Amino acid sequence: MHNPVFSTYSPTSIGRRLRLFVLSLLLFSSSGLGLLASEASHEVISASTHETHAEHAHQGLTPNAPLIDLGIFKVTNSMIVTWIVALGIIVFAQYATRKIKDVPDGAQNFWEWLVESLHDFLESIIGHDLVKKTFWFFATLFIFILFTNWAGLIPGVGTIGWGVPNAQGGLDHIARPLFRGVNADLNMTLGMATIFFACWIVWALQANGPGGFVLHIFGPKGKTEGFMKAMMIVVFILVGFLEIVSIMFRPVSLSFRLYGNVFAGENMLESMSNLVPSLSWLIPVPFYFMELLVGLVQALVFMLLTSVFTLLICQHEEGHH
Amino acid sequence: MTFTPLIAAEGGIVDSLVESAQRTGETFGFNAWLFFSQIISFVIVAILLQKFAYKPILTVLEERRKRIADGLANADKIKQQLAESEQRYQEILTKANTEAQKMIDEARASAAAVKEKETQRAIGEAEQILVKAREAAAMEHTKMLAELKREVGRLVIGTTTKVTGKVLNADDQKRLSEEAAREVAA
Repeated sequence: MHNPVFSTYSPTSIGRRLRLFVLSLLLFSSSGLGLLASEASHEVISASTHETHAEHAHQGLTPNAPLIDLGIFKVTNSMIVTWIVALGIIVFAQYATRKIKDVPDGAQNFWEWLVESLHDFLESIIGHDLVKKTFWFFATLFIFILFTNWAGLIPGVGTIGWGVPNAQGGLDHIARPLFRGVNADLNMTLGMATIFFACWIVWALQANGPGGFVLHIFGPKGKTEGFMKAMMIVVFILVGFLEIVSIMFRPVSLSFRLYGNVFAGENMLESMSNLVPSLSWLIPVPFYFMELLVGLVQALVFMLLTSVFTLLICQHEEGHH
Repeated sequence: MTFTPLIAAEGGIVDSLVESAQRTGETFGFNAWLFFSQIISFVIVAILLQKFAYKPILTVLEERRKRIADGLANADKIKQQLAESEQRYQEILTKANTEAQKMIDEARASAAAVKEKETQRAIGEAEQILVKAREAAAMEHTKMLAELKREVGRLVIGTTTKVTGKVLNADDQKRLSEEAAREVAA
């Protein structure tokens, strides 16, 4: 792209150059996003290349499948799995805590272990005060993403639904599955990332105040004097803009990472199942184990990244009190 | 350089970005209504999980943590009280030992004093008894000696009268009696 603005140097137009700098970063990030998108598309397409029929090019999950339309609120097949998983977790938690014993055993022991381990793990990362405020969110992220990822592996999720029967009366492709992997829905992962973003802003403002929040992003770090101090202020203002771009893209990277992994995993399982029809009961088995691991790792990554982002903005650096 | 091309360039980039984002969203199934529905759904799920899944167990864990902390604090308190009691006991024991030793020493000193006093008194009494006994013996001896002198004198006078066959006058009797007494005393 030829742009005369990029080739013009004007030492007095700092603000203009700054805007250009940010825009070029946005462009760069957009290219990165495009690359990410193309990579994800490539994964889907790669998975689909194993299909033998032309219609199998659509054998990935149906992107949007609202089952019940309540005006602005639409119930989708992934949302149904969301509620089933949430209900399962709540029922189990209620069952585990129905008769609290001083020496826990069985379900209470497991639930205590899970929640307490998660609490202690988060506390070791983000500290006691922050974990008290944010545990509900990060615990929900981890437990919910983990169990929805694993729920997506249950036979029937994505394979029971409505479609157009073939000549023999069978269904080659489920056009509207009844259930669908929750995190294989970009709307869901983007929704979670957006809620995190909103919570992150609230927690950041609570921890720093509006002025402190701005200072946290644009304020110079370290101790410098004289000319160097002036230089560092300029540098850190520029770095602050970079930071803002980075912050703005966090919901995108978080949501696409989770969505890409789960979506690709489900497509891979489907492809492996269709690779050799007579061995469709055997070939996907190792990949199921791998997807169990991916489900855990992705839940952990999502929770860890969001908690670290929160820690970074909420912790008070020296000189920023 | 003028400002207009810059705005135009920026506008182009922003348009390109928006278009790219829309294309990407469509490719991966983004839908604004479904997105908002999922946000509402997740918020409800998060609230329900917090209320019914985490809160009961976190309450239990917090109560247990508090109980353990109280227990540890109580154990420390009891340990401190025990140490204080032990110290008090040692102090009392030391004090009692000191007092007992002092009493024993006093008793010993008192007993020694009493013993000395009684010994001295006994010695005094014994000496008095001895003096009295000696005096009585001396008096008895003197009395017996006097009686012996008288008896010897009478015997000498009697014997002399019988041997000589004469009646001794008072002077002879006195002289013989005094000689006999001298002989006895010697």
